[in-house]
Order: sequence, then C-alpha cells, then structure tokens
Amino acid sequence: MISDMNFGERILYLLQQYGTSYLKGAGTTLLIALVSTAIGCVIGFLVGIVQTIPVDRQRDSLIKRILLKIVKIILKIYVEVFRGTPMIVQAVFIYYGVSQIFGVQLGMWQSAFLIVSINTGAYMAESVRGGIISVDPGQTEGAKAIGMTHFQTMTNVILPQAFRNILPQIGNNLIINIKDTSVLSIISIVDLFFVHKSVAGALYTYFESATIVMLIYLTMTVITSKLLLLWEKKMDGAENYELVDIMGVGTQLGEERKVGL
Amino acid sequence: MSTKDELLTVSHLEKSFGTHGVLKDISFQVKKGEVVSVIGASGSGKSTMLRCINLLETPTGGEICYHGRDITDPKINVPAYRAKVGMVFQSFNLFHNMTVLENCMVGQIKVAGKKKEEAEEKAMFYLKKVGMDAFINAKPRQLSGGQKQRVAIARALAMEPEILLFDEPTSALDPQMVGEVLEIMKQLAEEGLTMIVVTHEMAFARDISSHVIFMSEGVIEEEGTAEEIFQHPKKEKTKEFLSRFRGLN
Repeated sequence: MISDMNFGERILYLLQQYGTSYLKGAGTTLLIALVSTAIGCVIGFLVGIVQTIPVDRQRDSLIKRILLKIVKIILKIYVEVFRGTPMIVQAVFIYYGVSQIFGVQLGMWQSAFLIVSINTGAYMAESVRGGIISVDPGQTEGAKAIGMTHFQTMTNVILPQAFRNILPQIGNNLIINIKDTSVLSIISIVDLFFVHKSVAGALYTYFESATIVMLIYLTMTVITSKLLLLWEKKMDGAENYELVDIMGVGTQLGEERKVGL
Repeated sequence: MSTKDELLTVSHLEKSFGTHGVLKDISFQVKKGEVVSVIGASGSGKSTMLRCINLLETPTGGEICYHGRDITDPKINVPAYRAKVGMVFQSFNLFHNMTVLENCMVGQIKVAGKKKEEAEEKAMFYLKKVGMDAFINAKPRQLSGGQKQRVAIARALAMEPEILLFDEPTSALDPQMVGEVLEIMKQLAEEGLTMIVVTHEMAFARDISSHVIFMSEGVIEEEGTAEEIFQHPKKEKTKEFLSRFRGLN
C-alpha cells in the first residue's frame, strides 16, 4: 500500500506508474510554450513595427495618417488589455466567450495556442518597441542617407539589431510561458500541471507529485535558458576578425601619409 | 537662370524649430566639381543647413533645387534623391549588424538594385581607395574612429553620388586620426568630386575649397574663394572668427 511507503518509495512508485503521463504532460507544456512564444514574437514584432512607423506631416496623405493613428490606437488597446489581465482569466474569457459570441466552438488546443500567443504578443510588442528605439538613431540616418526607405531601414538595419537586443526578453517570455501554461489546465489542457493534479488527487500524494513536477519544470527552464545563452553568443559572432591582407595593414593611409597642417 | 553645370541651388532656405529660427534666408549655389566648405562657430546652423540639403531636416521655407527641381516639393521621391546625394556624418553611423564589406554593399543592392558580385566589386574598389580593404570582415565596433569614418566614406562613395555632404567628419576623432580622413577627402576633391564640407579644420578648408561659406547666427555672413575669406575677409565677424585660428597659418 502506498500509505506504508516512505517519501522516496512513493516518488519511485509515482514515476513507475505515471512516468509516461508526466512526460506527455511535459511535452504538451513545452509544445504550447514553444509554438506560442514563436507566434507571440511574430505578433510582437508586427505590432512593434507598426507602433514605430514615423509620420511625415508634409509628405504623408491625411487618410494615411488617420488610418495609421486608428491602427496604432487599436494596437495600444490590445497591448494594454492582454498585459493588464491575468492569463487564467483570458483563457476562460476566450474559451467560453468565443463560442457564446461567435457561435464557434474553439478546440482546447486552438484556444491554448491562441491565448498564450496573444498574451506573449502583447508583452513582446512593448519589448520590440523598446528594442527598436534602443538602436541608435544615427544608424537610421545613415541608412536614409544612402537612400533606404523606412521599410528597408527597418528590415536591413534596425530589426536585426533590435532582435539581438531583445533576445534575452524572448528567452524570458519562453521561460514564463513554460511555467504559465499551467493555468491552461482550467480549460482541460492535459499539460504537466494537469497530470500533477490528477495524480495527486487520486493518490493523495501532493508533496511527492509536486516534487517530481517541480524538478521537471526546473529542468525544462534551465535547459532552455542555457540554449538561449548559446544562441546569444552565436549571434554576437567572433570577438576577433581576420585581416584579409596582412601586408595591407602597414600601408594604411593614416600611417603612411600624414597630412601636414 | 540655371546653367547646365549647376548641381544644387539653395535659395532663401529657412529652418526653424518651433519659434526658434536656426536658418534665415540661406542662398548659394554648388556647381559640378566644386568643393564648398562651410565654416563658422558651433550653433551657427552649419550642420542644420547640410541636413536640410539631404532632407534629414525638413526646411520650413525656401527652395533647394537639384538639377533644377525643387526637392522640398512633397511629391519628390526622397529616398531616390538621397541615393544621389551622399552624406558622411560626424558620428560615422555605420550599420553595427554588418561587416565593413556589407556596410558598403547593402545600399547598392537594396537601393540601387545592383547584383551582389557587382556591388562587392565596387565596394572593394572604394574600400581600397580609403585603405580599408584589409578590414572587410571586421564589424564597426572593432574599428577605431578614423577607420570607421573611412569606411563611412567608402559606403557613401559606393553609391556613386553626384554630390557628397560631409558633416564635421573629423570632429569626433582623436587628433592623430584626423589626418587620415582629411587626406582621403583631399584626394576626392582633387579627383573632381562635388563636395559640401562642414568643418572646423580651417587649414583644410583653406587648401581644398573652391568656395568658402562663413556662417554666423543662421545666416551666410560672408562667402567667396578660399583666398578671399582666409586672406582678405571683409566682415568684422569673419575676421574675429578666423583670428582664433591664426596660429595655424
């Protein structure tokens, strides 16, 4: 009987009986977190890009300026609403709300991806906006000066740097999502936390099951943050660079010929 | 009224930020092959004037005609115009996410629509000209100020502009790096590139300019050939400004 076992034996017992359930739950958690963070990043980038479109009072038509203003306001509301309410409430709101208002029954999975994505998107939008304005404006001028449009400047110069700048933020969001998908058990997603609740409830092994689940969550987040650090390092590239023609160094203009003033 | 070799005609240019007038009634012409130096105290509006020419600042009045067309007209395709008018900045403004070579290629490919091979060839040509061809794999953060500015010049040249604007290109450099940048600019001037140079390097302005403009408090106080301005200045303000640099002569 499980009540006769000590702590270690109970954990072993749970792992033997429910090991695959825990792993499947962890898989579900990871899948939702990864996919939704990726979609959330895309949303965040789109919103952040629109939010930072400059307006030229002289050259842009009135209609374009008004439309842009309206879109910016809508996006601002989106960010405020989804950043300012708990995801667990959003989950209930969307899962039940969509079916009542639109008469469409969203599946559990669709709802899960939708909720975590738009939640992440709202957070990322602000990070992306910050990432964009943190790239020094001189580079924007440099790009303009060689004839780049705003769009070309963004895609070639600003966004790659903004992306690098907010990579730690993206990692943060991924880790938060790995943990926070646990609230989706409220709409019956069988994630790691749902498995825990079922196992613990059936056998009254709250502490033991929680220990297992804690360790699984911790393993996932620690590995994730290590991988992200590696990615950051890779993006930064080598500290040193190779000179193409070593002989050329000694004959730099500045060293060979000084201008006499 | 405009003749064929008149590249740029600035007439009655005005710029104000709010109620603060920075430029008042600025008029001058730049002909093909001319090197125009703009000198004057800090805050006299030199840089603002240059930035207006490239439309990085929107003029609040007057006209800037390029090949006879007023580019302050809202219908003008600004990026296409800027592709013809290069600019070199005080703070270099290189793209930090790209190598030296990529910095000199991206404009050619994305803006001018050139093929990669052609763009690379041209970038290498101009990088060689500024003595930075050994550094094509370096990122801007790995270079010294003088090296960055030379790359910035190569980047501007790679677009093969009709006119190149220099906004205090040596002001952010350590004294020992000033020479390497000025040497390149001198070489470009001798090759006949049309240039407008905002500078505090008086000896340099004196030696290479075909025309010198002295600005003070947002207006052109005096203009003329290098000899007229530096040897025989007429206005008191010009004399006073230049007297501070007499030691150089």
